[in-house]
Amino acid sequence: MADARTELLQGTLEMLVLKTLALEPMHGWGIAHRIQSMSRDVFLVAQGSLYPALVRMKRRGWVKTSWRITENNRRARYYELTAAGRAQLNAEQSAWNRASAAINDIMNIRTLPARWAIEES
Amino acid sequence: MSILSIVTDIVERIRALLFRRSAERELAEELRFHVDMEEDYRRRSGASDADARRDSLIALGGIERVKDDVRDARGTRVIEDGVGDVAYAARVLARSPGFTTVAILTLAVGIGGTTAVFSAVDAVLLQPLPYSQPGQLVRLYQHDVNEPGSRGFVTPVHYAQYRDHMASFAAAAAISTYGEVGGDIVTPGGVERVRLLKVGADYLDVLRVPPAIGRGFQRRDEEYGSRSPSGRNEADRGASVVLLSHALWAERFASDPSAVGRTLTINGAPYVVIGVMPQGFHDPVVPGIDAWIPMSAAPGRDAQNADNHYLGVIARLRPETSIERAQAELDALSERLAQQFPDAKTIRASLYPLKQDIVGASSRALQLMFGAALVVLVLVCVNLANLLLVRGSEREREFALRAALGAQRSRLVRQLLVESVVLAIVGDVAAIGVARVAMSAIVALAGGAIPRLAQLSLEPRVLAFSLGLATASAIGFGLLPALRAGRVDPNETLRGESRASTSDIARGRLRSSLVVAQVALAFVLLVCAGMLITSVRRLGEIDLGISPANVLTFELNLPDARYDSAARARTYEEVAHRIEQLPGVRAAGGISKLPSTGSYNQWGVLILSGPFANDPRRGIKGGAENRVASGDYFRAVGMRLLRGRLFDARDDAAAPHRIVVSKNFADAMFPGVDPIGQRLKTGGPECEIIGVVSDVAINAEGAPDFYIYHAHTQFAGDRNWALSQVVATTRSPAAVEPAVRSTIAAIDPQLVVYHPAPLTDVIGRGTAQRVFVLRLLTSFAAIALGLAALGLFGVLSYGVKLRTREFGIRMALGAQSATIRRMVLREGLVVTAIGLIIGVVGAALSTKLLTSMLFHVKSLEPTVLIAAAAVMAIVATLAAYLPAWRATIVDPRSALQ
Repeated sequence: MADARTELLQGTLEMLVLKTLALEPMHGWGIAHRIQSMSRDVFLVAQGSLYPALVRMKRRGWVKTSWRITENNRRARYYELTAAGRAQLNAEQSAWNRASAAINDIMNIRTLPARWAIEES
Repeated sequence: MSILSIVTDIVERIRALLFRRSAERELAEELRFHVDMEEDYRRRSGASDADARRDSLIALGGIERVKDDVRDARGTRVIEDGVGDVAYAARVLARSPGFTTVAILTLAVGIGGTTAVFSAVDAVLLQPLPYSQPGQLVRLYQHDVNEPGSRGFVTPVHYAQYRDHMASFAAAAAISTYGEVGGDIVTPGGVERVRLLKVGADYLDVLRVPPAIGRGFQRRDEEYGSRSPSGRNEADRGASVVLLSHALWAERFASDPSAVGRTLTINGAPYVVIGVMPQGFHDPVVPGIDAWIPMSAAPGRDAQNADNHYLGVIARLRPETSIERAQAELDALSERLAQQFPDAKTIRASLYPLKQDIVGASSRALQLMFGAALVVLVLVCVNLANLLLVRGSEREREFALRAALGAQRSRLVRQLLVESVVLAIVGDVAAIGVARVAMSAIVALAGGAIPRLAQLSLEPRVLAFSLGLATASAIGFGLLPALRAGRVDPNETLRGESRASTSDIARGRLRSSLVVAQVALAFVLLVCAGMLITSVRRLGEIDLGISPANVLTFELNLPDARYDSAARARTYEEVAHRIEQLPGVRAAGGISKLPSTGSYNQWGVLILSGPFANDPRRGIKGGAENRVASGDYFRAVGMRLLRGRLFDARDDAAAPHRIVVSKNFADAMFPGVDPIGQRLKTGGPECEIIGVVSDVAINAEGAPDFYIYHAHTQFAGDRNWALSQVVATTRSPAAVEPAVRSTIAAIDPQLVVYHPAPLTDVIGRGTAQRVFVLRLLTSFAAIALGLAALGLFGVLSYGVKLRTREFGIRMALGAQSATIRRMVLREGLVVTAIGLIIGVVGAALSTKLLTSMLFHVKSLEPTVLIAAAAVMAIVATLAAYLPAWRATIVDPRSALQ
């Protein structure tokens, strides 16, 4: 991809949202920007996919919502992590750690000498 | 997913559904906020106002798209779309009230009729007997070893043996189902006749129903039972016991619990009430019993005769015992008993599941009804499919437009199926009303011909069935038209105005073949109804050997508490004599069993004189039918005296026992000799033949049987015969009934004129089941005929509409209107003819199912086939005539514009 920014891995959006909300309750736009800036602009959050994800997470009971007033004095829907959401974050965090460690291990194996390679016919 | 999160999920979905509007509002606000923030952010990073706005919308990916994705994520999509589809379907249907009305009405008839018949099938065939562990209940019948499979009554001697020695039985009890058991109850308000059932002491153990109050019968009660009302031992009158039905208790004792222990007078004898049965308890075999009294197998004349069959026997198998094992044990026991009782050495016994025995013959009738109802429903569905195909052609542009605008094919098909389901559900609501009416009609028509059909109700399972039927019908009639509509090619349809495309021709062919199917189905029902009509007509033409027209019958019981045998002999003669004096009465008499109403008192015969004298092998299989007559019985029912004389004043209790026999009996037992003066032994006494009378059929189906008639004046001492009275009138039976009542009241005000009815009706009860099936089947056939006509009419009318232009051209070119009319009529008749040909095959197959209901009718009798075909053809011509006429009034000018 020419663009240095990468599309989010399938399924990781929810995990990142959980992580973001673990810091403090946040509205949708804030979540999108927080993820983008925390990833040092590596991840491009498709903002449109954020809202359906939030609805699904609410259905699962991971987040709860409330309407609050922002510092700019506007009404916005804030999302907040529930206990179930926190538990989910922990579960996903450790699963991620294990998976990324394993992937790192694989990726760091040095390439085998050429003579081990299977000849292509 | 944990349980908790599943619950949250469901709650969230429901909330989303319930608060859809506010959810939408909030979503809009949230997205607006998002875009504003993004725009603000971009502007602060240096973008121009216009760029900032545009780029922030692009970054989000379009507000409407996000909204749509969020709606999907809510998980309420299916329901929301469904609600939308239903609302749309309702609007579409409301726009064409004519179609909708026809659809709903025909569906109501089809589903309602089928539901009503199902409720009967359910009540009679599917529901278990209302006793605990009903699968263990069996009925025991005896049969002659030479007639396996026949179901005969049981002798008291054998009953006692079965009851005491069958290890497979948890309990066994006799019920005297033999004819109706009546009892007169004396109350301050007068005398009332109630239905009594004499049962064995273990009766309630067999059925496993304890009394609601008081106690049930015990074995020692049976000893008293031997002195019961129609017992022979008139001198000895100890108090007997009686169990009341809940209804009788409520009526006679105002549901007073202290009724138990009180004494009730039945047939003039005292009975102590020992208990009350629970509400809703009925005897499995005899419906409508008011009270139960114990019967006895204690020694008596009948009790020692191992060849006197008059008991019904029911039993409960032990839980672990199969009916096959019980039968094996019974077979072994029967062999032992054959050794033990030489006069009953050919008697064997078999067990039948009680429910199968009760339902038995009527199951075929009900299956037939159900089949006919389903055929009608199929016809309704075919009709609707046809109508929907027409609508499909008319709505083709609508579908094409929607397809062009991006509606998926599956979405279109679904929308059309939803329309069908909405129709079917509304139809089902109407159908429940129809079912209600049809159910009471079925109960009324059945008139006791079908057991367990005393009442039908719209139970939940019946409602569920009708709903299932509606859904199945919706798919049945809606799927084909919906799939067709899904195949619309928007390109072609929207471009051309041309109507007569190839798809129209294919559709026309499909619709015609649907009408062919309708004609065939209706024809099958017509043929079946025709065969039954012929059967019933032939039954009516049978010569029973009597003239039952204008004969009034009623039952008259002379309670032996107040009438000894001499008084009974005297009174029955007096009754006949005094009734004969009434104006409009030709003759009157009494008989122990009304003619042509079945078998009763079949007794073995030993010939004492003539060629077969003292030859025990020369008997009559199953015995001869014995009847006891009083008054002027033979003349009252129109029987002819062929030889000798009838009974008269000479034949009293003191005279030698004399009998009158039927001609076929005389011919069979005394070939080549004069029967008068011959001697034989039956039912105890030695008898001398004094007369020969004409033969009489044993039942309404007309098979004559061997009869021996005894004079009541001579035979009153044998038992209380409770003679049925016959009164031959010159006018209608109903006209003389009041005079008969007052005559009886003048003789004894405590006597009850019970069950007065014309003799034709009483005999007709033997054919009631056939008549019941006939009436229902005829109704179904009529409905089917109407539906087929409607289908034909619809197809031809639409064909004419499509061909308006063609007819216009033909007319313009000079075609006669008669020619055009003939064209359309011919089309209708071709469809009908093909339907009839297929229908003949269907009729050949289905009348096989009808065989047991038929009487003297060959399956596929040509006259019936021709008549049915003629009816079908006439109706088809009528249905085709209106469209044909319409084709001729096409105005060529307007058709060609």
